[in-house]
Amino acid sequence: MRAKHLVWIRRISQTAFLGFFLFLLVESRLPEDVYLQYSLIFSGDLDLRLDHPVKFFFQLDPLVWLSSLLSGHRLIHGFGWALGLLVVTLFLGRVFCSFICPLGTIHHIAGSVKPALKGDRMIQANQKTPGQRIKYFLLITVLMTALITPNLVGLIDPISLLFRSLALAILPGTGLGLKEIFDVMAASDIKTLNYLSYAAEVIVSPVFGYGYPVYKTGWFIGLIFLVILFLNRIRPRFWCRILCPLGALLGIFSRFTLLRLEKDEAACTDCKLCSRSCQGAASPMPSQTWENAECLSCFNCFDACPEGALSFKFRWAPKSNRRPDMGRRAVLGGLAAGISLPFLTKLDGTEHHVSDPRLIRPPGALPERDFLQLCQRCGLCMKACPTNVINPTLGEAGLAGFWTPHLIMVQGYCEYTCTLCGSVCPTGAIEEITAREKIERPIIIGSAYVDRGRCLPWSGNGPCIVCQEVCPTSPKAIYLSKQVIPGPNSSPVEVNAPYVDLKRCNGCGICEYKCPVRGRPAIRVIAAGESRSIQNQILLTGPVS
Amino acid sequence: METNHPITRRESLKRIARISAGFAGAALGVSPLLPIGTTHAATADNRFLVEGVGSKEGYKIKELTRKVFEAAGGMGQFVSKGDVVAIKPNISWARRPELAATTNPEVVEAVVELCLDAGAKKVRIADHTIHDARRCFALTGIGHVAKKTGADLVFPRASLLRPMKLNGHRLDVWRVFVPFVEADKVLNVPIAKVHGLSTLTLGMKNWIGGVGGRRSALHQDIHQSIVDLAQFFNPTLTLIDATRVMITNGPSGGSPSDVAVKNTLILGNDPVAVDARAAGLFDYQPNEIGFIRLGQKWGLGSYDPQGLTQKKVAL
Repeated sequence: MRAKHLVWIRRISQTAFLGFFLFLLVESRLPEDVYLQYSLIFSGDLDLRLDHPVKFFFQLDPLVWLSSLLSGHRLIHGFGWALGLLVVTLFLGRVFCSFICPLGTIHHIAGSVKPALKGDRMIQANQKTPGQRIKYFLLITVLMTALITPNLVGLIDPISLLFRSLALAILPGTGLGLKEIFDVMAASDIKTLNYLSYAAEVIVSPVFGYGYPVYKTGWFIGLIFLVILFLNRIRPRFWCRILCPLGALLGIFSRFTLLRLEKDEAACTDCKLCSRSCQGAASPMPSQTWENAECLSCFNCFDACPEGALSFKFRWAPKSNRRPDMGRRAVLGGLAAGISLPFLTKLDGTEHHVSDPRLIRPPGALPERDFLQLCQRCGLCMKACPTNVINPTLGEAGLAGFWTPHLIMVQGYCEYTCTLCGSVCPTGAIEEITAREKIERPIIIGSAYVDRGRCLPWSGNGPCIVCQEVCPTSPKAIYLSKQVIPGPNSSPVEVNAPYVDLKRCNGCGICEYKCPVRGRPAIRVIAAGESRSIQNQILLTGPVS
Repeated sequence: METNHPITRRESLKRIARISAGFAGAALGVSPLLPIGTTHAATADNRFLVEGVGSKEGYKIKELTRKVFEAAGGMGQFVSKGDVVAIKPNISWARRPELAATTNPEVVEAVVELCLDAGAKKVRIADHTIHDARRCFALTGIGHVAKKTGADLVFPRASLLRPMKLNGHRLDVWRVFVPFVEADKVLNVPIAKVHGLSTLTLGMKNWIGGVGGRRSALHQDIHQSIVDLAQFFNPTLTLIDATRVMITNGPSGGSPSDVAVKNTLILGNDPVAVDARAAGLFDYQPNEIGFIRLGQKWGLGSYDPQGLTQKKVAL
């Protein structure tokens, strides 16, 4: 096959997979037109699920599979895709990086369209550097850490990183930006602009999220993503060459690749065009030794060579393939860091001593230790959550749980029969449960308490009962009792005062969300009482004699 | 303009139209000139109430709904050819129909079909839900009704909740869900349930689902708020679904044991009379319910049987 064709096949594949990734990203939410036939639901429970395989790219990612296996000793659902990819890598090298990986494609675009470096400077930037060993160091660090717990792979895994960045920062940020433009248009005196602004919302909200979701620390997630994109101006595909742990893993697996770059040194005129377009800094020039672990199989060098001195051929030549250049220091350093990191994460005491009362995990989340062995921090549960309650943590779960999901009840609440987050979790860190299980097991995520100083009836500031009204359990976990309290001017007033029955409360947080007392609601939910933990309990459980 | 008497919807609409001409219409792709000539529902002399009871085993709820409208003179009496009709069911909670937290989808389906048969140009179903709207649409069966009948199901998106002057006794400017103010006819199709603060939630209280903003603060003066909203929205007809009613643990329920089967539909053009009759199903006298009392006081209607044409249909 001619080089030109190969390059075009690559471009088409990159576009298709990036498009598919973005499509699944946008579809990772309930659509507006999700219908159930009411004759079916009339007396039965049907769980709402997403129509598209939104977990696909995580199932395809061998690092997600491997880290879940090492850390949580679980085979995630659909891991066959990842194994298939590893087999492909054994024969064809890192084709994933240049044909499939959506983050790779974004870097490819960022580095190739209007590149910052020209001519000789680009050739210089595309020479292999010792810095490329950092990715092996990072890979070994995260895998070693995962073996001990917690599993930090998701912080730097390219699929998780991309999903998190786009879903929690880029999409909501763009959506909010557009909304502000529409608001200005709606306030304008020009009627056409008014109409356009209304029509625009109908088009925009299915893509950027109904109700314009926002996420805590979203700015930080977005900033990191932009910095990683900017690095392409220092070296093209800086991330892929130097930082990406999945690239490192696939590099190791490409040790015996059959698809080899064959060089004809006699034909080479040393024009260095191959090196100028090399995506992986894999030394394509005939005067150098080809680095198969660094090569992304993008076929640019093959295409660029005017003399036909380079070609990709299938050949069984394990001897002439190079070992991945990890460097001893990267390996030993990675092991040392991977052993230290788990213990560093224990120093904030969240695992053994006190857990943060704000650390309310999604319904179906595994016990904390198991959870941290599986959670990829990808943000899929946060994107899918219809009420925008699930947010990334900052310090609530300690260092070990940075950017893992937790529920912020002033931003949303956990809907009583909604089980969407568990159904989209790629690793099962949040179990897939049914609405019936959620109610009957029951799955308790926390417990509510009334702040009597702020509560309107309790503080003599007027009738309310909103928390009792919205409490979804039957019978209600929030009940009212007539109380006589001192009102203004010391005149006694009779009020309907809310109380929480902890035996019934499931911690869903709708009371906190709907409480009219803004800022800090008068009824709040803390994690204590969560059914996934044996220790974090309030009541004495067990049968009553 | 300061006013201490309830103004009509027509007046408030005129004012809105002046301030924000065209806002509401554009959103739904209809003429920006608001149809302000809506008939005021209950005038003193033509008040009517029809009660339909399905007493036979296995009666069809849709059939009963049609019978009730027939007894009232047919939907054609209320909906004219080319009308845009907005239907306000209560689908606040993402609960399955059996739990009686939301209006029975079969009732809504029959109403939509009747409107279309009467020549309505467009039928819109809208509610500003408490639970997530997408889940409410799906689980209450209303989404399916819309799909089946071809009615528009209006998603309560931010741009459709516009600040408007309610000119109530208690409520001034609130965000209003525009499909209800820009329709030619508005049909209120609530379900009857018990409620922790207002005792019952019936027709007039259903209008809390017609506004946005800080709704949870309405509870601080719930009865007057309900009456102000009912005054503002002023539906052409109210049809209370009491086929299944929630008798305890309301208004959200959650268990079949919270539900009682009453097999009753109550239709009328007097919101106070309709609510008063529905209150009877829960063994309450009309004057025991604050918003019914206030509704009568402010002249929205009357629970006085005098001057009320009453009919009963059974199936």
